[in-house]
Amino acid sequence: MTEYQTLIVERRGAVGWLINNRPEALNAMNNAMRDEFALAWKELDDDPDVRVIVHTGNGRAFQTGADVSELASDGIGMERYRESVENFDMHFTSWHQKVWKPVICAVNGICAGGAFHFVADADIVIAASDAQFMDPHVSVGQVVAVEAVALLRKMPVEAVMRMALVGRYERMSAQRAYQLGMVSQIVDPPENLRDAAQELAEKIAKNSPAAMAATKRALWGALEMGLTDACKAGAMELVSMWGHPDQLEGPASFAEKRDPVWVAPLGATEGASS
Amino acid sequence: MATRTYETLVVETRGHVGWLIFDRPTKSNAMDATMLNELEAAWNQLDADPQVRVIINTGNGTAFQTGLDVAQLSREPEALREQSRRTKRAELRLTAWHNRVWKPVIAAVNGVCAGGGLHFVADADIVICSTAATFLDPHVSIGQVTAYEAIGLVRKSPMEPITRMALLGRHERISAERAFELGICSEVVEPEQLLDAAQALADKIARNSPAAMAATKRALWGALEDGLTAASKSGAMQMIAMWGHPDQLEGPAAFAERREPQWRGVG
Repeated sequence: MTEYQTLIVERRGAVGWLINNRPEALNAMNNAMRDEFALAWKELDDDPDVRVIVHTGNGRAFQTGADVSELASDGIGMERYRESVENFDMHFTSWHQKVWKPVICAVNGICAGGAFHFVADADIVIAASDAQFMDPHVSVGQVVAVEAVALLRKMPVEAVMRMALVGRYERMSAQRAYQLGMVSQIVDPPENLRDAAQELAEKIAKNSPAAMAATKRALWGALEMGLTDACKAGAMELVSMWGHPDQLEGPASFAEKRDPVWVAPLGATEGASS
Repeated sequence: MATRTYETLVVETRGHVGWLIFDRPTKSNAMDATMLNELEAAWNQLDADPQVRVIINTGNGTAFQTGLDVAQLSREPEALREQSRRTKRAELRLTAWHNRVWKPVIAAVNGVCAGGGLHFVADADIVICSTAATFLDPHVSIGQVTAYEAIGLVRKSPMEPITRMALLGRHERISAERAFELGICSEVVEPEQLLDAAQALADKIARNSPAAMAATKRALWGALEDGLTAASKSGAMQMIAMWGHPDQLEGPAAFAERREPQWRGVG
């Protein structure tokens, strides 16, 4: 198992936790963290005992985008990432890493700039009542692109545009994020966030891993195309589960009033069934 | 810059903020043939003016904008023939989006916004409202089809309220408060505070890098055209296009030195 310097990766029952752990830098993503994200998502995705993943941060920030002080001081700056951005070959979110297990983003504090990658690419987002959202890119001469491109498919567009264009001169509250459907639950007091995330994850973990993976593929795939094409592709995901053992186990366990025993999730690597 | 005079619009600048104001208050700011032509000129004038960094669009009088001037349409259909042709070809030039304005645009909705007036809400980047603002789409109540405006809006807000508005026609209105709840607008203020609120918001936006904002707008509006992965790829190209731009050194430097950045023009 990998040793991480910038992240904490752990298990609590069927729930895998991925915790940003550079609190002194407001969990800004330096180059090491960027590389570790790629490994951590894969580790949790490949672990057949993990059914749901929660992503949160240590300290007063959830995440604050790229580590600007490293970019400004290492003499390479954003150029380091040119090739990966040009080829759109990124690996730091669960969507980038094609994680088909459910991912909950639990926003524990400040969520700024590039942090929206993780909000945009999660399946479910909950927030502490004192979480704040802002996108300072244009205030320092940077463009807002990929994170907002995904976000504006998932919530009212005007709010995304406003954050992108007002930059660091305004913050969105957790309450407004909830109203807009950017997050689905506010946890108050804030210190209960992790318990609430674990509780939510445990509910999700009771569902069929294979059915949830196919559901994720259908719904994320729908963001790629027009309505009719998306329905056709979604129908293929739906049919792909027909005959799967979970489709007998589900109704049987319901009739017998017991918890279902699902086929364990297959990670990116094959043969992980237990 | 040669400032032209307008019959149906007021076009002016306050600091870095350009104002485009519908000015046919006795006609609820409905668009006649003159206004349709003047809109194209006004957007292009403000977009070309290097002093202008942000544009606010609002209306004089009690209405924001109520769409095509149906009285003129029935009286002198000839006057609107050219616009009919443009409508057919999807070549309208009414809004900032139609005119490819890449400066940030705020719609400050001061009153009723009806029918074709919804173009200006759908195509703005940011929408703020007076408590007096209301939204309705009477097209189907007079036998007209709702298309462009609602097509834009259903990509930007929950869809059900838009299809409801399109199908209820003139028999129901969306309030400013409901528009806020739905994320169609991001701020609601008392009517007498609307213009100050719009100017204050625009002044904040004017402090950001014009070049970065233009690229951001291209990325985000472009994203409405494509699937997620394709849009992310073209967004990434917009992002890279700014790398090496002087604003990217100036921004962090100004931040570190606790001073306002001196941005380059968009060029």
